[in-house]
Amino acid sequence: MGLLRLDLSSFRIFASTVFEPDPGATTVIVGPNGTGKTSILEAVGYLGTGRSFRGSTREAMVSQGASHALLRAWLEVGGREVQIEAEMAKVGRSKVLINRQPARSRRDLAEAVAVSTFSPEDLVVVRGGPAGRRDLLDDALSLLQPSAGGILEDVDRALRQRSALLRQCRGRLSSEAEATLEVWDDRLGGAGQKLIELRRGLCHSLEAEVERAYQSLAGDDAQRVQMHYQCSAEGGLLDALRRARVEDVRRGVSTVGPHRDDLQLTLNGREARSQASQGEQRCLALSLRLGVHRLVTAQLGHPPILLLDDVFSELDPERSLRLITELPPGQTLITSAVPLPRQVEAASVVDIAQLRGHHG
Amino acid sequence: MYTPPLRNLVDELGRLPGIGPKSAQRLAFHLLKVPRDDAERLARAIVEMKDRTTLCRVCCNVADGGALCPVCADDRRDTTTVCVVEDPRDIVAVEKTGQFHGRYHVLHGALNPLEGIGPEELKVRELLARIEPEGVAEVILCTNPNLEGEATAMYLARLLSPLGLEVTRIASGLPVGGDLEYADELTLGRALEGRRSVREEN
Ligand SMILES: [Zn+2]
Repeated sequence: MGLLRLDLSSFRIFASTVFEPDPGATTVIVGPNGTGKTSILEAVGYLGTGRSFRGSTREAMVSQGASHALLRAWLEVGGREVQIEAEMAKVGRSKVLINRQPARSRRDLAEAVAVSTFSPEDLVVVRGGPAGRRDLLDDALSLLQPSAGGILEDVDRALRQRSALLRQCRGRLSSEAEATLEVWDDRLGGAGQKLIELRRGLCHSLEAEVERAYQSLAGDDAQRVQMHYQCSAEGGLLDALRRARVEDVRRGVSTVGPHRDDLQLTLNGREARSQASQGEQRCLALSLRLGVHRLVTAQLGHPPILLLDDVFSELDPERSLRLITELPPGQTLITSAVPLPRQVEAASVVDIAQLRGHHG
Repeated sequence: MYTPPLRNLVDELGRLPGIGPKSAQRLAFHLLKVPRDDAERLARAIVEMKDRTTLCRVCCNVADGGALCPVCADDRRDTTTVCVVEDPRDIVAVEKTGQFHGRYHVLHGALNPLEGIGPEELKVRELLARIEPEGVAEVILCTNPNLEGEATAMYLARLLSPLGLEVTRIASGLPVGGDLEYADELTLGRALEGRRSVREEN
């Protein structure tokens, strides 16, 4: 699949512009920082996920002075042309049409425009707290497992119900509260256990892909990558919830469950979060995204559009070169503020100044 | 920009479920135009409904002024089987299947700590009080097939099982996360028919 054309109106700094990348190869968008390169990737990402990979609100994405932004994309998916149209409202509801039919869920969108994104902020997946690593796994699961969306929703809701009940206990566990807590333990235990199994299975299949990506980026500095799912619940989740009940009531929060789990990443046995160099951490962060990208490619039967934001400033020149020469097949959109490695010249290059000057 | 009585009506209508500010405004201006008789009939219908509708003293379904609800008043109904539902509207859905000939019990909600609803806010005590006097032999848990409905069914199963009666749960197969109210008769009928005994797994 590939993006053939993207039209933007009133999106960020673009009053009106047309972007036509190479649908089957790499297109690099070059230009100084703060000129809107990332916004182009952000728009493509929004069409595939319904949200900004920079975590921006719609209010920030719609141009100042406009009430709506219009994003229109034409894609080639399995030999057919697909048109996506998103009307993004600053306030109120936004709507997305796939071939003029309203998209009902994020899954609809992901199936029409699959995207894999890497941005400099992804470094927090390796260096930051466990939430970023859990999100990486859950986002990948939503693309890979049809059942994951419903399970994630159930876990979230059961957790919020159980936590609300714990707060209402105010540190005391009456026998009546205990009887209701039991049924929420059961709900959370059931859905949570399924999520834990899915995440474990994903870690298992992802590990080899991440290691492969890491080694092809790192070259001589190849290291063994291990991904270990750290479960806050020992044994089954349901039993762990029951054991934690007294403590949970005392503290008013759920102390075990998938929301407390972590993904431990190691390089040759060293904890990547605290013991790896920044260069290694960057390389690993990118490898995680590339690993997920490969799994999703296998699942879909075609590669998602790969969006690499400002990736050359993240990597040293040798790694940049290895990345560009060993990119997975399919369409890749890259932004860069720094001079490109020499070999990139073969790929198509778009100057952001051209896009900004376009009034199509 | 409205006179106080009109503003008042817009506010009151806007508090109804599913009515946004725009619809409230439209309804209020519609009522402004209708003849006084029509407006009075609507106002009277609301007050009369509040005055004369009570909960059935047996099953907590809606009933006419202190009387039994139509189901409990019907002496052909089997009193040994009770179907537990969340909402009076669910009775309509189950009745449409034509597959159930016992009586009902309306909980008026489901367990939902986020909304402050625990067992005390539901008609649970009233259900327990019926078991012995009515000689109930089977309770069918017919709460909604979503997270809160499942939790409520499990809670009731744990309370009722030790009382030595058959406790069953409607079969899955209903749209997950949905409301009973929206299930079609055929699906709901099959779910009732395929109900399974709930056993304590501990
Ligand atoms: Zn009744």
